[in-house]
Amino acid sequence: MSIAKLTWINVTKDLRLEWRSRDVFNSMMFFALVVVVVFSFSFEKEDSRPVMGGLIWIAFLFSTTMALNQSWARELRNGVLDAYRVSPAPAEALFLGKCLGNFILVMLLECLMAPLFVVFYNLSTVGPLWQLLLVAVLGTWALVVNGTFFAAMSIRTRNRELMLPLLLLPISLPAVISMVGGTTQVLSGEGSPAVQLKFLAGFCVIFTTACFLLFDTVLNAE
Amino acid sequence: MKTKLFFAFAAFCCVFLAYGTYQGLVVAPTEETMGNVQRIFYVHVPAATVGFSMFFVNFLASVFYLWKRSAKADALAATTAEVGVVFCTVVLITGPIWARYAWGTWWSTWDMRLNTTLMLWLLYVSYLMMRRSSTAGSTSVLAAALAVFAFLDVPIVYMANRWFKTHHPPPMIGTSNLDPSMQHILFINMLAFLCFGLLIGWFRYEMERTAQKIDAAHIQRAAGGAAGMMLIPAMFFMSPGHVAPISYLWAGYLAAWGIYVAYLLFLMNKLARLKKEAAELGA
Repeated sequence: MSIAKLTWINVTKDLRLEWRSRDVFNSMMFFALVVVVVFSFSFEKEDSRPVMGGLIWIAFLFSTTMALNQSWARELRNGVLDAYRVSPAPAEALFLGKCLGNFILVMLLECLMAPLFVVFYNLSTVGPLWQLLLVAVLGTWALVVNGTFFAAMSIRTRNRELMLPLLLLPISLPAVISMVGGTTQVLSGEGSPAVQLKFLAGFCVIFTTACFLLFDTVLNAE
Repeated sequence: MKTKLFFAFAAFCCVFLAYGTYQGLVVAPTEETMGNVQRIFYVHVPAATVGFSMFFVNFLASVFYLWKRSAKADALAATTAEVGVVFCTVVLITGPIWARYAWGTWWSTWDMRLNTTLMLWLLYVSYLMMRRSSTAGSTSVLAAALAVFAFLDVPIVYMANRWFKTHHPPPMIGTSNLDPSMQHILFINMLAFLCFGLLIGWFRYEMERTAQKIDAAHIQRAAGGAAGMMLIPAMFFMSPGHVAPISYLWAGYLAAWGIYVAYLLFLMNKLARLKKEAAELGA
């Protein structure tokens, strides 16, 4: 079977599992909602625009972490991960499948949460909207690709779920900084996020490559 | 032979460091605008050089480990990460002490150079935590993979000074902004601290090898810099109004040396524990 076919099988399997149980998605959704509501009480509506970029990404970053932990924890039950390791299917297909599955999940969450941000913070963009979409897509991919990799790493440690944020947050900090900066610039219309977009694109390329090169090693680390 | 060589090198480092510090504190010309406080430069920049070099060696050792799976490379990676974190801690503590005097603020939140250095420190602390908490068999491989990722951040840190507008003074070596006599003394200090870093690294490496040999997986690998971070609260007792500028200089030097000494004490303590353990095992 080709890598594309195997990847597709992994993606559909993950999404079907999620569709049937909706464990992860419901908790992600609820968590993001609580963050939005709590912050809407904590800030004055009038001056929230400069902090909105940070706020939006905090909500998505932490809900993504929830999804990432679950995506590998699921494979530990019944020794599914061990079965993967002995199967002749390339590890890259498994990794890409997981990444795409998580990416779809997080993008869906972002689409559903966007109206809530508009309602709670009376939000509108001053800069062009397509730039915001681009920041969202690139930023989400940066988070998801690193996150899937480090989740695979952290389930191999003793304190599984605790380890993921400790590894993921420092690695993704450059991306988070430019995501927040880019979002704030589009929302406030002050300056163009071109530098941030280039930086994010570069970050995605570099780290996606690194993840693909090292995933096999991490999966089979003994 | 090895022990003799080690002590000879240690003695050499002591003399060299004393000479470098004397040059930095006494011989170097006083800077026009910042006065004596500028002398923190002679511990801050060398510490950064050593820290970054250590992280570079860590990356090379990790790649080599992934390739050849040699236990020595793994020990070298663990050593350089820890020593690098100690030197990076010195950079992060002496920097704000100087900045408090020069800029009037400890930290400049949106300064890429400061943020990226802090990021680097966080990355290698998380690396050390990873080494501690991973399950025995897989530590080396996972840590090596993480080290490759962490090092991808180093070029960003290095270039941040050139790409982004920052408050941090630009690189000055070889430019006309730096007085030749200052540059000369900076080089002396850089070399002295590189020797010092090598010395600590050597010491720590031998310990790591011993630990590997007696397979003491339960030995705690605490982040070396953590002890030094206790010095931070002391900084808040200083505010620019009623503190003589020279205090910043002393604070910087004390903080730097406090961290180095604390780390050496930590290593001594660890060595004593290792020896005890080796004796119990009859190794």
